[in-house]
Amino acid sequence: MKEKILETMREIAADSDLTLVSHIDDSTVLLESGLDSLGFAILVASLEEKLGYDPFSMMDEPVYPRTLGEFVAVYERFAP
Amino acid sequence: MIKESLDTFLQDIASDRTCLVSPSGVITVRELREAAQQLVKKTPSIKGRAVALCGLTPHELITALVAFDGYARSMLLLPASLSEEVTTMLVNAAGCEWRFDSLKEQPARLNEHKEGCSELQPTTWILATSGTTGTPKLIEHSLETLSRTVKRNVSRGGEYTWGLVYDPFRFAGLQVVLQSLLSGSQLCIPSERDINTQVRYFSDSRVNALSATPSLWRKLLMTEGIHHLPLRQITLGGEIADQGILDALKQIFPQARIIHIYASTEAGAAFAVQDGRAGFPLEWVDGGDAPVHIRISERNHLMLKPAQLPGGEEIHNRIDRDGYLDTQDMVKVEGERVFFLGRASGVINVGGNKVNPEEVENCIREMSDVADVVVFGKKSSMLGQLVVAEVLAAHDGDRTELKKAILQHCRARMENWQVPAMIKFVNTLAENAAGKRERIN
Repeated sequence: MKEKILETMREIAADSDLTLVSHIDDSTVLLESGLDSLGFAILVASLEEKLGYDPFSMMDEPVYPRTLGEFVAVYERFAP
Repeated sequence: MIKESLDTFLQDIASDRTCLVSPSGVITVRELREAAQQLVKKTPSIKGRAVALCGLTPHELITALVAFDGYARSMLLLPASLSEEVTTMLVNAAGCEWRFDSLKEQPARLNEHKEGCSELQPTTWILATSGTTGTPKLIEHSLETLSRTVKRNVSRGGEYTWGLVYDPFRFAGLQVVLQSLLSGSQLCIPSERDINTQVRYFSDSRVNALSATPSLWRKLLMTEGIHHLPLRQITLGGEIADQGILDALKQIFPQARIIHIYASTEAGAAFAVQDGRAGFPLEWVDGGDAPVHIRISERNHLMLKPAQLPGGEEIHNRIDRDGYLDTQDMVKVEGERVFFLGRASGVINVGGNKVNPEEVENCIREMSDVADVVVFGKKSSMLGQLVVAEVLAAHDGDRTELKKAILQHCRARMENWQVPAMIKFVNTLAENAAGKRERIN
């Protein structure tokens, strides 16, 4: 899951003329990863196409992840 | 003198109260009023004239508003983000006679000069719409139409410090400025644009009231510092507030009063919903305790009749026989609630930024490798909507390369939020029965 997310982040960065920070791990803060908020919204939309679900529209109690680790955990938790 | 102007409202507020906080210092009501009076003294030629305020700093803008409301005939507010070409055009269209680009220098006298008028009238506030269709439109307001939903409780107001996250030249930012000034609250103006830095500054300044779009709130909730803000007042506006973001805010800030405002540059501030639920009560339609007269047209457009409508030709054309303004916002009724669906024109709202699909289509159609294209909004759990383009390629070839070329072409010509977030290649484009392209929202 994490690899798929990272791969999608790289694709979006390339498409959007953005540069990701050189080292990304679980503790990387999403808003400091190099993707802007538009890039981040595109990430969620692209993952929905690839994975078939958008956890952020499925949550009863909305959670907004701060780090990559938290973001991956959200996708794992809602995986069908 | 005019009976009610921004300055006369400030007279009712204790003069030693702090009203502006920024990294460059703290300003009291007295200091703000004195600065405004000095500005008036320095520029007597503005009396009864049409003045353009172009790209001033937030602090300068607020000083100028206090100085010239009730003194100038009209004030045109133009943000620094507009190009010089558009700025000049709008300054001319508004018939401005003087133009400020900074308060440090005397204003420039423009060619157009009307007969002087000695009698002071309430000042017309002229704002530019943020729509992306060609050039912005000018909408005329007054202090009253701009501050309709402002709570003016000066004794309670002193308990609030508002954080400014919007451009104060735009309708949404101006609402925050007026809310804060008219109720004697403090306004905290960050100097940095980075959201983490802004939130840290708000935290240091004990900001306890914030107004932002639902998309910006989602982004704010992803910062660490936001959880430390002692928020008591949370306002959402500028795009549709869904139940998810309202619930998330309620959960994190259980003590805060959470309201979402329906307002637009065209209709002015119309109403505020305070019950923590998306949409608004059906009983507000056609009577009841509605804050403003509300109707739903046969085409499911939201129609409004505020006590006072802004002026200008654009508005005039959208008012029906009974005096209701067509907001161009689509609604649906579900049970006892009215929910917003989006813009009737197909305009896409990307985190508060409006995108006209035709403009994006025209841009992509310029490319010889593209036979045709349709652009529409796709629901986004992060930004409300995203721009999606379905492209009919002119010939077979590498789709990855074509996608890249389209993105580059768009990025060179449009704002980031107008550039399609997704490009899909299709063999036919969807059309509805009337032969008009279907815009799926």
